[in-house]
Amino acid sequence: MAEAIIDIRDLSKSYGAKRVLQDVNLRVPRGAVVGLMGTNGAGKSTLIKCLLGLLHADGGRADMFGFDCWDLPPAAKERLGYVPQVVYLYGWMKVRHVIAYTASFYAHWDHAWAEELAARWHVPLDDRVQTLSTGQLQTVALVLALAHRPELLVLDEPVASLDPIARRDFLRSLLDLAEDQSRTVLFSTHISSDLERVATHVAILLDGRIAYYSPLDDLKDRVKRLRLWSEADLPGHFAVPGALRTKVVGKSALAAVPNVTQELVDDLRKRWHAEVRVEDLNLEEIFVELNTHA
Amino acid sequence: MSESLLQFEIHPSSGVPIYRQVMDQVRALVASGRLRPGDLLPSIRQLAADLEVNMMTISKAYARLDADGVLERVRGTGMRVRASGAPASLADRQKEIAPEVEAMITRAAQLNLTEKQLLTVIRSVLQERRAWLKRSSTSAT
Repeated sequence: MAEAIIDIRDLSKSYGAKRVLQDVNLRVPRGAVVGLMGTNGAGKSTLIKCLLGLLHADGGRADMFGFDCWDLPPAAKERLGYVPQVVYLYGWMKVRHVIAYTASFYAHWDHAWAEELAARWHVPLDDRVQTLSTGQLQTVALVLALAHRPELLVLDEPVASLDPIARRDFLRSLLDLAEDQSRTVLFSTHISSDLERVATHVAILLDGRIAYYSPLDDLKDRVKRLRLWSEADLPGHFAVPGALRTKVVGKSALAAVPNVTQELVDDLRKRWHAEVRVEDLNLEEIFVELNTHA
Repeated sequence: MSESLLQFEIHPSSGVPIYRQVMDQVRALVASGRLRPGDLLPSIRQLAADLEVNMMTISKAYARLDADGVLERVRGTGMRVRASGAPASLADRQKEIAPEVEAMITRAAQLNLTEKQLLTVIRSVLQERRAWLKRSSTSAT
């Protein structure tokens, strides 16, 4: 496996008595585009904040570029781009000045690219920040996060407030960015269709744990729904081994199985004298199955 | 030459991984003769940009097609359709189509079609296709 850009081990975080993250493990190799999925309140933002050193974890550790995230040296921060879920910028500043101001903190700011991105997303450069819509603010934050061409880009729900056109443009930019495969992206979202084009990996947070983390293709290749028709009524205790969920109605059953193999299918056919159909699931369906199970 | 005149069609939100959609479509293009032995495929970068998907996805599809003997890598040029190649064995190709046939049989059962009635449909569709191919090949010349 390639060098780990992010390496999170047994990370835990509680807010008072409320446990938000529990023994989270996540290793992101260079060049990966990881989509972090989870329902509202699953802990996505908390995980990202621990990773950025904005929150102190209670246990375990998180490393970025091989440095402890709680104590990132400035040189490591230069290699990072971040877009928060809620963007705070000085309201009285004009957008063009915010960009110039941010640029001054970076040694390798790419002014030409910043302009190109701003044009691509129709960022109103001469408007004051306080007059911008949520979506416009997010595009400004994206320009600020991308213009120094970071090695690692961390985005917390980056597209939630973008319209479909801007969202598509943004995803295209992510692909551009990931193109040379030396850049790494971690982005949280609950919009699964955004992930399917760009993500190489998917991590699913469920109740503060990583319930699933694998290449997206593997996930789709392995998690399937089985539809089964037996010759006789199925017993009430009928269950498909390893299934997330099995639903039995008379002679037929429906099961979501995280690791479907030919053996399993053959076995079911033989044992229950059943006809078995294997159905592909898309990411949204997989996500729902995993969450229904929990 | 290597523009996307090949017209790939990708459904990102399908349950079939994108790399497999690409593989299936390359196979279909080769099988139908729209891609001939020696034809070049779009570069990984080009196809990824056209389809707006991650380059690794295309790279994986090409690598598997290479391993399966459908395509071959030409240094400095890209991927092209293997000349004669070692076509997959008959048994393998039959195994490949089994899931679709299975789905069809299930559907036929739902429609209360007997085995014989289903075979009649298959034969008539095959016949139509043969007639269509014949027409299109004469009109092309």
